[in-house]
Amino acid sequence: MNITVLYGTETGNAEMLAEDVAAHLEGAHEVACTNLSDFAPADFDPGQFYLVICSTYGDGELPASAKPFAEAMEAEMPDLAGVHFAIFGLGDTEYEDTHNFGSRIIAEMLQARGASQIGERVLHDASGGDMADDLAMDWADSVVELAAQQMKEDA
Amino acid sequence: MPASVAIVGTGPSGCYLAQALLKARPDLRVDLIDRLPVPYGLVRYGVAADHQGTKAVTRQFERLFERQGARFIGNLDIGADVTLDDLRGCYDAVVLAAGLSVDRCLQIPGEDLAGVATAGEVIRALNEHPDSKALPPLGRRVVVMGNGNVAIDLVRLLAKSGEELAGTDLGEGPSAWLQSAGVEAIDIIGRSPAAQAKFDPVMVKELHRLAHVRIAVEGAGSTEDAEAQKRLDALAAIDGTTHGDRQLTFRFGLTPLAIEGQDGRVTAARFRDASGVEVTIPCDTVLTAIGFQSCTNLSRDDLLVDALDLDAGVLAAGLYATGWFRRGPRGTIPDNRTDAQVLAARILNDLGETGGKPGLPATEGLVDHAGWKRIDAAELAGARPGRCRRKIADRQTMLEIAQDR
Ligand SMILES: Cc1cc2nc3c(=O)[nH]c(=O)nc-3n(C[C@H](O)[C@H](O)[C@H](O)COP(=O)(O)OP(=O)(O)OC[C@H]3O[C@@H](n4cnc5c(N)ncnc54)[C@H](O)[C@@H]3O)c2cc1C
Ligand SMILES: Cc1cc2nc3c(=O)[nH]c(=O)nc-3n(C[C@H](O)[C@H](O)[C@H](O)COP(=O)(O)O)c2cc1C
Repeated sequence: MNITVLYGTETGNAEMLAEDVAAHLEGAHEVACTNLSDFAPADFDPGQFYLVICSTYGDGELPASAKPFAEAMEAEMPDLAGVHFAIFGLGDTEYEDTHNFGSRIIAEMLQARGASQIGERVLHDASGGDMADDLAMDWADSVVELAAQQMKEDA
Repeated sequence: MPASVAIVGTGPSGCYLAQALLKARPDLRVDLIDRLPVPYGLVRYGVAADHQGTKAVTRQFERLFERQGARFIGNLDIGADVTLDDLRGCYDAVVLAAGLSVDRCLQIPGEDLAGVATAGEVIRALNEHPDSKALPPLGRRVVVMGNGNVAIDLVRLLAKSGEELAGTDLGEGPSAWLQSAGVEAIDIIGRSPAAQAKFDPVMVKELHRLAHVRIAVEGAGSTEDAEAQKRLDALAAIDGTTHGDRQLTFRFGLTPLAIEGQDGRVTAARFRDASGVEVTIPCDTVLTAIGFQSCTNLSRDDLLVDALDLDAGVLAAGLYATGWFRRGPRGTIPDNRTDAQVLAARILNDLGETGGKPGLPATEGLVDHAGWKRIDAAELAGARPGRCRRKIADRQTMLEIAQDR
């Protein structure tokens, strides 16, 4: 499968995780890893499966590297029908009221333009006991499997 | 031989710089030097014990040593153990990422009274920094002067109950100090109006979740500025919180005049308000959280004055500065990341294909990454119930553990 891992980060945790996920999937798939700040809405391609990893900052806002992408989405209103994505959020339950809003904002934004989400949005809690890597590798394996079925059915 | 880079300081700015350099040029020799036997600067010794999520950035920084090939050289004070000139002789590029560790003073009468301490002193002691002083005696009424995030961190820790400190890395001594003091009232004083306060709104909002506080906000005023409005909204949201007996009172627009005492101990803090009226707040302790300034072993002021291009972080040919050392004591962890990425590009460009200086020779008494991991392992293994780590506070013990092989 052709996979693009996209990340939105502020302090680099999502970037590190995205690189790990990309490395994990590499042997079996064609994988690219890109910062959302370097990705334009026009770059979306239905032939790719997108794994998005995004943190949350400020008061439930997008992290710095995802903000230009969100603005471009707003301005360009692209048609993302046929695009499949899965999403993994980084957050912290210290911020109880806005826990993992960043990944939610991205998921809603993509869905609003017609993209299909594969699997559940999985949430990491920086204050919790789990390492993001442990959650994310299982997530990646399971959504890649789901996507393979889904994209075959759609085709 | 590829070019060599020494980074003085292993706080976020030094680590992010090393990360960016090695990402672009994995062949570089990058040495991260710290005066302490342990890395990570204010992530270990500043970021509050109850914000462990923020401290998790060190997992990224560990990769520098584990996968990216950077070397850790701990227990080496540049300016004291090795001169800056000698260091520059050993490396193709030297970067000062040494932060700012000395507290700014208010410079008003009474600062030398018992019961007056700077936030930096208290925070270092709470974090069990090996060079910290003893924690000052804490009375029932505490005045915190300052309106930055550091002031809020202190207030939050002082107001928390024992249960609320579960999961932190706060040591036994500091925990006992916080719990036994019986703080009843904390006044948080800002010199500026609330609109110009420096704390982040989320930091303020978090106070609402404290289990045992009553919060009042006095004279927050109004503003036309949208950013400042978020701060006023956050203050309005916590005003009137009644979850318990510890009284937190925010007051603004009060210029400190003097700290008053009796028999050498603080009894009150005196201010002038915006209309010129004097306000006296009786208290047992005054903590000043008004910022940091340059450390002593590197002549920062001279270096900055002579800088070739301070905005770009270039002090002289082959000598650079980043993070708080360059910018002053402002900005959060992500700000240092942005800074570091820009500076890395500049350094790589300046280095070009040159290189060959071999770096510092191995010397007795220094701590390498394996040594730090031994300290880390000892700290994690020693964690008491309810704590995620038990910091080793004493330099000699750290060195013994590090050198044990
Ligand atoms: C109390 C406090 C709490 C904070 N909380 C947060 C927070 O929750 N979130 C956030 O984003 N930001 C927070 N910040 C801000 C953040 O800590 C800083 O932005 C950041 O640490 C600055 O990084 P730095 O690398 O420039 O300096 P530092 O982190 O200070 O690192 C400097 C390093 O240099 C070493 N050093 C100094 N002199 C020498 C020498 N002569 N030779 C060798 N080594 C030397 C020091 O030992 C230290 O390890 C906080 C700051 C403080 C003071
Ligand atoms: C100032 C600040 C604000 C934050 N705000 C939120 C938030 O509102 N909600 C949340 O779930 N996490 C929040 N977080 C936690 C981050 O999302 C979490 O630390 C994450 O691991 C950071 O990933 P990154 O390094 O990729 O940006 C915040 C962290 C900081 C330091």
